[in-house]
Amino acid sequence: MAEHVILFAGPMGAGKTTAIQTLSDIATVTTEAANTERHVVDKATTTVALDYGEITLGDDEKVRLYGVPGQKRFDFMWTILKERAKGLVLLVNNDSPDAVAVAVDYLSNFGELVESGCAVVGVSRRDIARYPSTDDYADAIAAAHPGAMVPVFTVDPRDSAQMITVLLSLIANLKEDVSL
Amino acid sequence: MTSIHQDPRAIELGAFALTELRELAPSLVFATIVTDDGFELVHAPNNSFEVGRFGSMSSSVQALSEAVTRELRIGDSSYVVIAAEKGHVLQLRVPGHPLILAALFDTAETLGKALASSRRSAERFGAQLSSTLN
Repeated sequence: MAEHVILFAGPMGAGKTTAIQTLSDIATVTTEAANTERHVVDKATTTVALDYGEITLGDDEKVRLYGVPGQKRFDFMWTILKERAKGLVLLVNNDSPDAVAVAVDYLSNFGELVESGCAVVGVSRRDIARYPSTDDYADAIAAAHPGAMVPVFTVDPRDSAQMITVLLSLIANLKEDVSL
Repeated sequence: MTSIHQDPRAIELGAFALTELRELAPSLVFATIVTDDGFELVHAPNNSFEVGRFGSMSSSVQALSEAVTRELRIGDSSYVVIAAEKGHVLQLRVPGHPLILAALFDTAETLGKALASSRRSAERFGAQLSSTLN
């Protein structure tokens, strides 16, 4: 059975925990703590170590899904988990201030995955904020990582079909990467 | 509403708790009290440690230990120990509050004494905080 480790990263409130819960075939492992920064993102809890889930695609492809905390003060968890990741799903909430710059900044922390074409971007909350567009993200990412192919999708992390599309797109890129 | 890690009454009581911990356990190298999501209430002593980073790591370690106990259905996590060559890190919850006490001891302290001292400080701090804030 082929196995992949996929990392879900992005700012607090982008929907990483929800996306993993939506995708996972198993009960997810979560590490939620009371959120002290309610003035920054108004949600009761926040991930402080990792989220974990699993999904089996087809008959023989198991994907381990790891979510990392969004806040930079937990970036040691990014370092630990990206070492074992084969691909990256970056989620960005479109209603955050300067969302495109946030996406580019987060991607810069996962440069190796981005440069090797093993990253996709999911833009959430586009029903709340229509702009920036996915093209705005794609242009900024192309400028920051010339030559790297990073697909950008509009996603609702609660929507299973949308999240599976994102995941399959990423895994298709991983296979191309392996075949090179 | 002021977050607990910015409440002057909590900070004062936390500083007192860490002073007391140092008196109970002279081999204490460093200690901090942080919120569940890693914001520092207080630390002692002031030194070159990257305080914020240690606090964030304590928050992650606490959450991971609780995820493991939840997964294995073995009840609540009482404390976490990281035993290393040149010291040991011990951390536990402050009873009744969304706070974690994390401490680094050198190897002169036995783990048992470090645990007893930390537990006592955390319990007293928790009780004092409850009576002050309520």
